[in-house]
Amino acid sequence: MNSRNRSLGFGISIGLAGLLLLPFAVGSYAQHVLVVSLYYVVLASSWNLLAGYTGLFSLAHHAFAALGGYTSGMLAVHAGVPVPLGILAGVILAGAAGYGLGALTLRMRAIYLALATWAFAESLRLIIAAEYKFTRGDLGLRVPHLFGTSNPRVHYYIFLALALLTVVAIRALLHSKIGYRLRAIRDDEEAAATTGINTVRWKKFAFAVTSAMAGMAGAFYGHYIGLLSPVSIKFTEMATIIIMVIVGGLRTISGPIVGAVFVEVLSEVLRLSGEVRMVLFALLVIVLMRLYPGGLMAFVRSVARRLRRYTALREVPASWQEKEIS
Amino acid sequence: MDNLNLIAQYVLSGLVIGVIYALMAVGITFIYSIMKMINWSMGEFFMIGSYLQFFLIMGLLGPGRWYLAIPLSMLAVGVLGVFLQRLLLRPMFVGTLERRDEYATIVTISLSVFFRNLAVVVFGPYQFSPPDYFRPVQLGPLPLNGSRFVAFIGSALLLALFYLGVKRTWLGRALQGAAQNRLGVQTAGIDLQRLDQIAFGIGVALAAATGALLAPILLVHPENGAIATVKGFEIIVIGGLGSITGSIIAGLLLGLVESLGTIVLSPAYRDVYGFALLIAILVLRPWGLFGERERVA
Repeated sequence: MNSRNRSLGFGISIGLAGLLLLPFAVGSYAQHVLVVSLYYVVLASSWNLLAGYTGLFSLAHHAFAALGGYTSGMLAVHAGVPVPLGILAGVILAGAAGYGLGALTLRMRAIYLALATWAFAESLRLIIAAEYKFTRGDLGLRVPHLFGTSNPRVHYYIFLALALLTVVAIRALLHSKIGYRLRAIRDDEEAAATTGINTVRWKKFAFAVTSAMAGMAGAFYGHYIGLLSPVSIKFTEMATIIIMVIVGGLRTISGPIVGAVFVEVLSEVLRLSGEVRMVLFALLVIVLMRLYPGGLMAFVRSVARRLRRYTALREVPASWQEKEIS
Repeated sequence: MDNLNLIAQYVLSGLVIGVIYALMAVGITFIYSIMKMINWSMGEFFMIGSYLQFFLIMGLLGPGRWYLAIPLSMLAVGVLGVFLQRLLLRPMFVGTLERRDEYATIVTISLSVFFRNLAVVVFGPYQFSPPDYFRPVQLGPLPLNGSRFVAFIGSALLLALFYLGVKRTWLGRALQGAAQNRLGVQTAGIDLQRLDQIAFGIGVALAAATGALLAPILLVHPENGAIATVKGFEIIVIGGLGSITGSIIAGLLLGLVESLGTIVLSPAYRDVYGFALLIAILVLRPWGLFGERERVA
């Protein structure tokens, strides 16, 4: 173990301790905002894996979150299934549905894929709204809370664990052979197939894994809020996820985390109406795409690089600077 | 006999709505055929068109002169489209932008979020309802609301005009050429950047026309473009991206399927039938009914 690893380990422990103690430093409303941020960290990170790293620009990610939520919620309400078991069912169903949608859209080019996934999401929303006997439609379905509590501090720890699990899993996946296969498929599917990558299998795999992650987030979130509504499958929700990922930085591991927390916390700090907020964030995305396509993380990194140039730390060996895989 | 009459009514009303859907779809597919991108903010140009129409007929022109307001709304939205194309979408073709699809999708989705929320900020979440354009008419066995009749005739007229424009004028031929081979058109000395702007302008003007025509039916509010966009996207996938004939036929087909699905199955799922049709087409013919098969280079 060299000194670099030791200092990295130290940094991670400090960060983790900070995250664990955070709920004690802030009030319950801020805790709630953090829970929502962490929920979006899971969604944004997993969508980034699908769209950014595998090149499958799906517009149904929010629908899989809702699918997980509704599966678990309806099992609890109509069949009396214990909440944790229902969540598990939600994750499995969302993953299976993702696998199915992946299989269905296998042959599609980028634009067809976006259109087909978007149509899938819209239809799911319409079906949930129409089947009001089971889903209570637009009125919303009341579901029990996980562990019978809506205390944001408890759920903060749950979502912290989920977000960490997701991000660590995605990081490990991207650094493994599978990650290289996914990126190869994104960059040139035919070339990837030529080198012996089973593109069909890995595309379906990417869809299944990311949809299961979204379903997990959605199921836990439903049992935190205690209310499910088809509004969560509106396209605005998908746009929010995209905004978060782009603001943070597409095709970076830290980008979606930074973007989700930045967008969610800034929304609360600004205390503007939802519409004004969305106008501002949409503008921010357009400006970033036009001028700084790497997102905020690329911006921060370039500023850091410039700062480093002014300080004596210029002689840092290249291996010290952790490179982000893109 | 009564049953037959009923079916005839549903078929006819399906065709009427199909023509209106087709106008929106043709705008989307036209932009795609030239710029090879999907404009996800089409519904917002529809919405802007309907707001312009509403304020023009309620303020400047008076409700009687809705037929003057429609071309004006189209023109204004077309100019806005040209401006936005120049500002935001030109970098797709100038310079070295990687992953154009992704850029175009993200920028136009953001534009859609931007305009939709801006409309709420500026005009509030209210619904404005313009007066009917025309008195109710009887179309064969089908009694038709006046506005729907106008929307039907207007859409058919605009589709015919558009078709003639593309087939008969110099600009139309240039656009057809650009749709077939962007490089080839450039070697013929045609300014492709200008063509892109014109195509985008015309495409969003068609969306504005749909919005203006449907204003008394779908009402004027920030999200009124959503339904038309859903149908438009379904139609272009069914008909095949980039095919104008395909869009028109798929529009009629979608109108029929929805209308007949309503009587044969259930009216609650009216908006899901289009998706079922889309899935069926995608599984059997992923390039759409009239689209070109992807050529692998």
